Amino acid sequence: MPPPLLSVEHLDVVYDGTITALSDVSLTVEPGQVVAVLGSNGAGKTSLLRAVSRSLQPYGGTVTGGAVRFAGQDLAGTDAADVVRRGLVQVPEGRRIFRDLTVAENLRAGGYTVRDARARAQARDRVFDLFPILAERRDQPGGLLSGGQQQMLAMARALMVSPQLLLLDEPSLGLAPLLVDQIGEIVTEINKQGTAVLLIEQNAVMGLRVADAAYVLETGRVTAAGTSAELSASDEVRERYLGVAAPVVETETVRGEPAIATAQPPQQLRVEGLTVRFGGITALSEVSFTVEPGTVHALIGPNGAGKSTLVNVLGGAYRATEGSVHYGDAELTALRSDKVAGLGVARTFQNISLALEDTVEDNLLVGRHRLMHRGLLPGALKLPGARREERAHRETVAGIAELLGIAHLLRTPVHTLAYGDRKRVEMGRALAARPSLLLLDEPVAGMTHGESQDMADTIRQVRRDLGLSIVLVEHDMPFVMGLAEQVTVLDFGKKIAEGTPAQVQRDPEVLRAYLGASAAGDAAA
Amino acid sequence: MSYFLEQVLNGLSYGLVLSLIAAGFAIVFTSTGVLNFAHGSIVLLGAYLVAVLHEGIGFWPAVLVGLAGAALVGVSINAVLVRNLADKGPDTAAILMLGVDIVLLTELTRRIGNQVLTLGAPWGASVVRLGDISLPTGRVLAAGVTVVAFAGLWYLFSRTDLGVGMRAAAADGPTASLMGIRLSRTAATGWALAGVLAAVAGVFLTSFPAPGVAPTVALSALAAIPAWVLGGFDSVPGAVVGGLVIGLTSALVTGYEAQLEPFLGTGFGEVAPYVVMIVVLLVRPSGLLGSKEAVRV
Repeated sequence: MPPPLLSVEHLDVVYDGTITALSDVSLTVEPGQVVAVLGSNGAGKTSLLRAVSRSLQPYGGTVTGGAVRFAGQDLAGTDAADVVRRGLVQVPEGRRIFRDLTVAENLRAGGYTVRDARARAQARDRVFDLFPILAERRDQPGGLLSGGQQQMLAMARALMVSPQLLLLDEPSLGLAPLLVDQIGEIVTEINKQGTAVLLIEQNAVMGLRVADAAYVLETGRVTAAGTSAELSASDEVRERYLGVAAPVVETETVRGEPAIATAQPPQQLRVEGLTVRFGGITALSEVSFTVEPGTVHALIGPNGAGKSTLVNVLGGAYRATEGSVHYGDAELTALRSDKVAGLGVARTFQNISLALEDTVEDNLLVGRHRLMHRGLLPGALKLPGARREERAHRETVAGIAELLGIAHLLRTPVHTLAYGDRKRVEMGRALAARPSLLLLDEPVAGMTHGESQDMADTIRQVRRDLGLSIVLVEHDMPFVMGLAEQVTVLDFGKKIAEGTPAQVQRDPEVLRAYLGASAAGDAAA
Repeated sequence: MSYFLEQVLNGLSYGLVLSLIAAGFAIVFTSTGVLNFAHGSIVLLGAYLVAVLHEGIGFWPAVLVGLAGAALVGVSINAVLVRNLADKGPDTAAILMLGVDIVLLTELTRRIGNQVLTLGAPWGASVVRLGDISLPTGRVLAAGVTVVAFAGLWYLFSRTDLGVGMRAAAADGPTASLMGIRLSRTAATGWALAGVLAAVAGVFLTSFPAPGVAPTVALSALAAIPAWVLGGFDSVPGAVVGGLVIGLTSALVTGYEAQLEPFLGTGFGEVAPYVVMIVVLLVRPSGLLGSKEAVRV
């Protein structure tokens, strides 16, 4: 029996020497097959592709165990440029086309390793055949193409070397359902012409529709594998992506005085007709919702829905193109981000942004900055007043650390902490400013199921003890189901649904956004 | 009027030479992310090689050796030092280049001593006359050669695989390596190109009307830094525009020094390029043609 085209055997991948991304992952791709790898954010899907295409190194990753074999040969010791010459090409996540190069130049860069002019001309003809729009726009800069066209260009660029195996990283990311279907058809067509495909997808329906076989990856491990038909039939997949079976916890209301009072009582947050455009791209379009004081309000939506843009407007980092955001009587959209913080609004960041070399305590103290009254000179001279103030700040910070369960880590430098603890420090720093409104940007991105349950408990605790309002941005549906009183669902920058978790979970629009058109049809039937 | 025209033409030609140096800065920066503070010394090195070799092997062969030598030194700096830095950050590399500059410049100064070496350029101190305007032949040649060099660069970057690969690697290295483009190769090519351009500039910066090859040439080559910054750190066309702006500015300010003296004093020609640079950066922080850095919060 000939060896499989690609075989990944017991692969372990570690980043920065400490963070495990993959452990004991095995999978095979036979010639002419389409294989999908499904999994949520941070499951290790991209690491898997990078390990196969030998491009882990620039990201600080290394293969610490197992092997990757392509056409029977071990790829250990080869680099990214070598594997391209062997016929294995990766289309990176987020398309990563060369924006300043024209479409034709992008394709030329893609065919860099093809020395034979005739082979190259053939590949280009084939690519233009597959993607007529690229032929039409060949002399325009890649950056002017739409999202879907950029995805086509990224795939076309990879096809310029006529690979035996094409690795696709999230080709449907941020694309409209219609385009997702079209990309799916193109993958099928590429496969028909003889190229095997290893496809990474968050969009489970799209992945399962085009693939012959699929693997489900969860926190670096393969948790399910089988033919697409087998996996589609399992309730498990549906559950994993929609949280249909997640228990809807009756969200408790705060009673009595909170243990630690906020600086000012929480106010109502009103977002009215908010539109944000970047150049020609509309990231948010006429979004309106209201967050009642003291409640947890979740904003959910698939990747690219505009959630982060919204948090950035609320936190004052981005400007609104149209519409307004009011917090109590103040209009946030008219203020600089430091003034927004002054109103009692604090946020965390999706990609943790902490001072890595400093201790947890110092990172938390940064959050107190707004409340520090003594100037630089008294602080530097350690005058009695300044010392008293510093002691008070350290006590507050210790209280917050206690609340978040990181009190034992106060003296530890952040870079030695595990991911979950860093997320807590990030939240602690926001809380240190004693906000009345806390914006949490994807607090459980990249966490395991258990870790995210712990985080949910912490968030409940924080709300109970501090009595503040929380706006929670997440794309993990099951997580918000047991946590939020109100849910607003965004897709392509528009609000598509609103209501209690139970209402939103059954909304056909939401099903469509998360699972694609056909799934919504099934659910309705 | 003819005096004005003469100053303008002189300024343009000097500006084109500066833009050769500025383009070298930009190419090294885009291909390896290094702020090459040793670039001035490489300019001097190219000219020095021509000056010491021209008597033995003739001027034109000496020029070829000068170009090759400057390219080789650039490639070696990258291969031996930059690529082996434990910390790949741009600030570490910039400090490294300051060190390399000191080493190179000290050695060249030791060899040159107090003398001013003659370059032995066949055009000597001859002058081209057009009506009542007269220009040094070296300056006219410099303009011609520079235009040809930039035409060559344009061809390389837009019409050849290597050039398109270099632009792809500069735009997004990790993605370019997924296309099979070897970043070590595009980086070496970038350093070699910058070295060649530096040596060409060195030849024109040290032939008439300049006195000859002396260590101060390395410093005057740094006049290209405002040209580079003003054009945009990562743009070769920006380097050309920046070079022309700086060349014109300093030629005109120097040429009309007598008239400007009452309120600017003497020697303002040396300061003017930096004034222009600061004014432009106040309005356009990423330079005239540089790409803006977008940061996702």
